[in-house]
Amino acid sequence: MSDAPEEIVVVDELVKDFRPGFGLRKKRVLHGISFKVRRGEIFGFVGPNGAGKTTTLKVLMGLIHASGGRASILGHDIGESAYRRHVGFLPENPWFYDHLTGREFLDFYARVAGVGVAGRADRCAELLDRVGLSHAADARLRTYSKGMLQRAGIAQALVHDPSVVFLDEPMSGLDPIGRKEIRDLILRLHTEGKTVLMNTHILSDVEMLCDRVAIIVQGRIRYEGCIGDFLQNEERATDVVLGAVSPDVVEQFETRFEAGVKGRGDRIEFRVAEKHLEEVLRIALDTGAEVKAVTPHRVSLESIFLSAVEAEGAER
Amino acid sequence: MISPQRVSAIATNTVREAIRNKVLYVLLFFALVLISTGVLLSTLSYVERDRILQDVGIAAIRFFGAAMAIFLGVGLIHKEVDRRTIYTVLSKPLSRSEFLLGKYLGLVATLWLQMAVMGVGFAVTSWLSEAPLDAGHAYAIGLAGMEAALLAAVATMFSSFSTPLLSALFSVGIYLVGHLTRDLRELGAASGSEGTATVTSLLHRVLPDLESLNLSIQAVHGLPIAPAEVAFAVLYAVGYSAALLVFATILFQRRDFR
Repeated sequence: MSDAPEEIVVVDELVKDFRPGFGLRKKRVLHGISFKVRRGEIFGFVGPNGAGKTTTLKVLMGLIHASGGRASILGHDIGESAYRRHVGFLPENPWFYDHLTGREFLDFYARVAGVGVAGRADRCAELLDRVGLSHAADARLRTYSKGMLQRAGIAQALVHDPSVVFLDEPMSGLDPIGRKEIRDLILRLHTEGKTVLMNTHILSDVEMLCDRVAIIVQGRIRYEGCIGDFLQNEERATDVVLGAVSPDVVEQFETRFEAGVKGRGDRIEFRVAEKHLEEVLRIALDTGAEVKAVTPHRVSLESIFLSAVEAEGAER
Repeated sequence: MISPQRVSAIATNTVREAIRNKVLYVLLFFALVLISTGVLLSTLSYVERDRILQDVGIAAIRFFGAAMAIFLGVGLIHKEVDRRTIYTVLSKPLSRSEFLLGKYLGLVATLWLQMAVMGVGFAVTSWLSEAPLDAGHAYAIGLAGMEAALLAAVATMFSSFSTPLLSALFSVGIYLVGHLTRDLRELGAASGSEGTATVTSLLHRVLPDLESLNLSIQAVHGLPIAPAEVAFAVLYAVGYSAALLVFATILFQRRDFR
């Protein structure tokens, strides 16, 4: 038996064209994107606004028809509707039937999702409790705060106990407390073994939550893989601060190690590739310089994201 | 395959939303006021007071039924898309045809509920004025309900691909033309031109013949109404509405919800 992780969502060369208006030329918003989401992982789908994240999720949920390519969820082609029995979806900035109370709202989605009458009320009560809305179960949704609506949205996504959950910008517009609550909910889904695909442009959340990410820029996937792999692939660097360095040593650093040295004399600082660090320090100590600080430079997802966006811009 | 549970969930929610919408109560209030004004209007005449009273009453029911069918129907799908509620509903294992059917049935249930209230208002007004009431009045009001259901299907069809304003314009147009198709056909036949006769006959066949659902004259004058005529009219309305819904579903299936 293979140990390879099971691929739950497979997107293969997906293309989407939109016509901006009647009689206008079609505009391509997804340029043959491909990525895979494995069972039980939290997958971050990251990109700037307008990159095609929401369009991709809507194609996967059958709300938008693909113009080309293929996608499957749990082995079902997205042209079928059977897979939706196993998928929960929270759209971006969700808006719900505000004439309903929290309890009626969940009961409605449970009925639509085909949850049987036996145990439906218990399931709704349990979910309301789980997302911390038991106290507001009989209040109408129009009285809910943004954070409460977001939690109600997650509850409706889970009402039929799906094994895959798609979340579109789940933390958007929330205050720090609201974001933490949603983060905790997502981590709990992960603990329960559910597969989560999360669209976001909040990179700190991705670093905190996701096992793997794909970065999409202007309808093209720029990176896909584990966050750890991204960071390993980037050349590691170290920030060095030295004192009492002679000008010829400074020149040596600049020419041999391509270090962009800032400052002169008593205090200089520069960034050097990790592979050159030992040599740099040896030269500094041999020439009588004072080593003031050596700080490993952490390559963040943000810098990778920004370089992906810049690279896309440079190619155009 | 259509699931009755999912369709009824959508329909129930549509009715609940309408019942909690205060605008409908205002419309219903005006309808009841108009039905009652028949009493005042009938006092202006020495003859046929009952006829005037009931003519105004049934006309009010038919008019408000049609107005509410168009008013609610044109926003039926657009509102779901505009408020983005459709995203979560269609992400569930629910087909678009089930969604459309549920919305339509919910709308028809809402209309019939309101028309039933108006029907009770009409019966009370007639009873207080000692005007005769018989099965003919029930048939006329029942067919007014079928007319509203057919117009709801027209509005739902336009709503499945167009904006509320355009849908309202198209639906009102169909309503007006729908009451004239018989006259058009007869005018075409009397014109002596074979081409005109063919075109007007075709229009009569393609566009809804709403006059076939109008038995108010027979009811008000106490003329006999054959049950077969009523049954045919009901079948016509059901068949026409079903055809419109199938067409609406085809259009709705192709839509992207951006």
